[in-house]
Amino acid sequence: MSHQKKEETIIPEKGTVLSAEKGTKRVILDILKKALAENLFDAVLIPAQVPETEAYSWILLQDESLFEWADPLPPVMTVQGGRALSSFSKNGELEQNIAALLRPCEIRAAIELFKLKQVNLKNITLISLDCPGAMPLSNYMSDPQKTKKDFQHILEKWENSESLRPVCQVCQHFSFIDGTAADLHIGLLGDKNKNITLIPSSPKGKKLLDQLEFGTKDSVEKWKTEKQQLANEKIKRIDAFNREWKKKINQANGFFNEFNPCINCHNCMNVCPMCYCQQCYFDSQAINFKPEAYMQKAEQKGALRFPLNTMLFHIGRMSHMVLSCVSCGACEDACPVSIPVSQLFSMVSDQTQKEFKYTPGMNREDALPLQDFTEQEFCEVEVPDECHEKAPEEAK
Amino acid sequence: MEKKFKPNIVGFLCNWCSYAGADLAGSSKTQVDPSLSVIRVMCSSRVNSNLILSSLLWGADGVLVAGCHPGDCHYEQGNYYARRRFALLKKITKILNLEPDRIQLSWISASEGKRYAEIVNQFARDITKKGPNPLTRNSQT
Ligand code: SF4
Ligand code: SF4
Ligand code: SF4
Ligand code: FES
Repeated sequence: MSHQKKEETIIPEKGTVLSAEKGTKRVILDILKKALAENLFDAVLIPAQVPETEAYSWILLQDESLFEWADPLPPVMTVQGGRALSSFSKNGELEQNIAALLRPCEIRAAIELFKLKQVNLKNITLISLDCPGAMPLSNYMSDPQKTKKDFQHILEKWENSESLRPVCQVCQHFSFIDGTAADLHIGLLGDKNKNITLIPSSPKGKKLLDQLEFGTKDSVEKWKTEKQQLANEKIKRIDAFNREWKKKINQANGFFNEFNPCINCHNCMNVCPMCYCQQCYFDSQAINFKPEAYMQKAEQKGALRFPLNTMLFHIGRMSHMVLSCVSCGACEDACPVSIPVSQLFSMVSDQTQKEFKYTPGMNREDALPLQDFTEQEFCEVEVPDECHEKAPEEAK
Repeated sequence: MEKKFKPNIVGFLCNWCSYAGADLAGSSKTQVDPSLSVIRVMCSSRVNSNLILSSLLWGADGVLVAGCHPGDCHYEQGNYYARRRFALLKKITKILNLEPDRIQLSWISASEGKRYAEIVNQFARDITKKGPNPLTRNSQT
């Protein structure tokens, strides 16, 4: 069987630096508008604010005059972009060319869904951008104006803010995605608010820059340096984040205590881009028993908690999809009782993905870890451990 | 002192190797710990994490998954996939502090009746030593 390929594309040295004097959002929209006008694309998938409301959603934009709805940097992530892309592309190939502007975690979800045949990427150009993070959806819904103002401030400074969603504060993939995930990256760091940097991340992206007559003649060094600085800060924060969660979980009933307020609504599953199953096992009848069984359990446990199977759902869901979890925060945004779902999933995905030497949503060719294997691996989980029996370590 | 603790262990055995191994242990009258309840599955790769977790949350003190030795799976590669999924579940239970030692994966062929008995007896001893599974007694679960 195939081994995991680990050829990460190196970030290119050259791209296009454009002035952002007119405002970052304006410049991004103008690029897309130009591409649409020149028929390089037939439509653009982009977040938009629904006019006269505070609601954000995705739109598949064809009419140039509607570009004023579009917002490439919305303060919230309402629907995970990977899910949006899947919802219209999974049932076949597109004839038309589409550009999709997504946050890096949404691109990564799209790539995982592509591997799972839930996204068809033919004729779709994926454009990522430096992501400042997103605000908690519930904060936005209760006070849109203040949340927008806070977010605007974050966008200007690019400093960490406690008002961002916790997973955003420790996000490790907020910028250019190594590998073959996206086609074009829009760098907002570097000369922030003065310039933006367009970095091609695939031959398709490079071609696009040529077609737009931007070319790839400018150095991307400034952007790269600043991106690295921010990345370093985030690494420090994630170490602290993981330590803290470890401490909490290692207390007696640590995990259960976190999920105790759960009302079993399965929102977290319904919004998760990686939970694409048409019928979720935990919504099925497979886990229902006869009443006597519940009486017996109540006796054994002293008291039986309802709704039933809450913990089974969370640990089970985790064991199904955590190797593809992109720490996007959608589950936590959707939880009506404020359980830190994505922080917990993120903490577990971080460690399990390391063990499986897999980072979801990077290289389109990397096999999904549960659809792959090598003959001699994970022997430490076998009792007795057979590989080491066969090939004892000489050094010892 | 309470009554001596007798564990409740669930064993998912693949039809082609481990179940046959269990059969051989029985027919050759090898002593096998009776705390194991055997569930026959067609292949170790049939054992979805849901089955293991449901067992642990609904009454089992330990879960044994047993299949053919690597390279010998009746469906050729089933046990390799099973091992990956098992390794993931084991890691998750470790991270979540949920007593990973209560689940075990073993390879037992159709001719290894003796090995079957040894593995089951040892696992039963280990689980007895660990005592009752707190998850099955926990009203939070
Ligand atoms: S589990 Fe949560 S954080 Fe992970 S991919 Fe799903 S929605 Fe995103
Ligand atoms: S929890 Fe499992 S069965 Fe349910 S939708 Fe997610 S991956 Fe599918
Ligand atoms: S969204 Fe929150 S309350 Fe609903 S099932 Fe998930 S964790 Fe439980
Ligand atoms: S048939 Fe025995 S492990 Fe697959």
